[in-house]
Amino acid sequence: MNYFQLFGIEASFDVDLQNLSSNYQTLQKAVHPDKFAHASEQEQRIAVQKSAHINDAYQTIKQPLLRADYILVQRGVDMPNEQHSFSDTGFLMHQMELREMLEDVKSASDVDAALLEVQRVLSSEYLQLTQLMRVQISENNSASNSAACDNLRKLKFYQKLNIEVDRLEDSLFED
Amino acid sequence: MAYSEKVLDHYENPRNVGSMDKNDPSVATGMVGAPACGDVMKLQLKISADGIIEDAKFKTYGCGSAIASSSLVTEWVKGKSIEEAGKIKNTDIAEELALPPVKIHCSILAEDAIKAAIEDYKSKQGK
Repeated sequence: MNYFQLFGIEASFDVDLQNLSSNYQTLQKAVHPDKFAHASEQEQRIAVQKSAHINDAYQTIKQPLLRADYILVQRGVDMPNEQHSFSDTGFLMHQMELREMLEDVKSASDVDAALLEVQRVLSSEYLQLTQLMRVQISENNSASNSAACDNLRKLKFYQKLNIEVDRLEDSLFED
Repeated sequence: MAYSEKVLDHYENPRNVGSMDKNDPSVATGMVGAPACGDVMKLQLKISADGIIEDAKFKTYGCGSAIASSSLVTEWVKGKSIEEAGKIKNTDIAEELALPPVKIHCSILAEDAIKAAIEDYKSKQGK
């Protein structure tokens, strides 16, 4: 049973997160340790394993990039190794500019405005790429799957940037 | 995780940080990235008419090991021919910097950056 089947939902990039969350809670209740307080050691162990499995499935489907990755792997798409270098020069040049933009926030005359601008640019580009990937995943043919794969790799650079933005925000406003 | 002394040295005093004009025909630019960690690396080489690397600059956004790998590479390639530079292996970089297994991909990125720069140079020359 794959992660989508576990939650009784369609294997699609479009997921109703509220529905997912309520299905998750129902499943977790069934394997809650309290229910197995008087069960045998083996039954308790199985319940713990099931709970961990349900949790893995939930985390994977909940997060868009992990969900996309999971769908593509399930389809047998040949995913390039994570460690494999990415060499789309135009895209990487732009990534470098975005990182420079982020670096300049600290020394900007209006730090708040500069940070907001970075966040605005990042979230709009992230959304655009995600939307593109969503369509490619739903098309589900070999060309669209491999294009989705490419966009997923690009989105990971944005994910990293978003972490950097959060870190910067924390450091700017901690005192 | 503890970084080796060599990594720390390059990280704290990176050599040859900077940019060159990517439109200059004698400048080769190699851009590579690692989706796994979001690192982005730019390596630029100034190459003489007889194919010798006269200068090298880098700019890397990434962890200490990625910065150290690219910094080391700029030192190594200077004075080399592009053929010699193309023979630098990630294992040489990893060994020199004593990179732990989880950071080997940083040295792969640096090797790929050299290759990408040489490719760029060749395509520029071909024009």
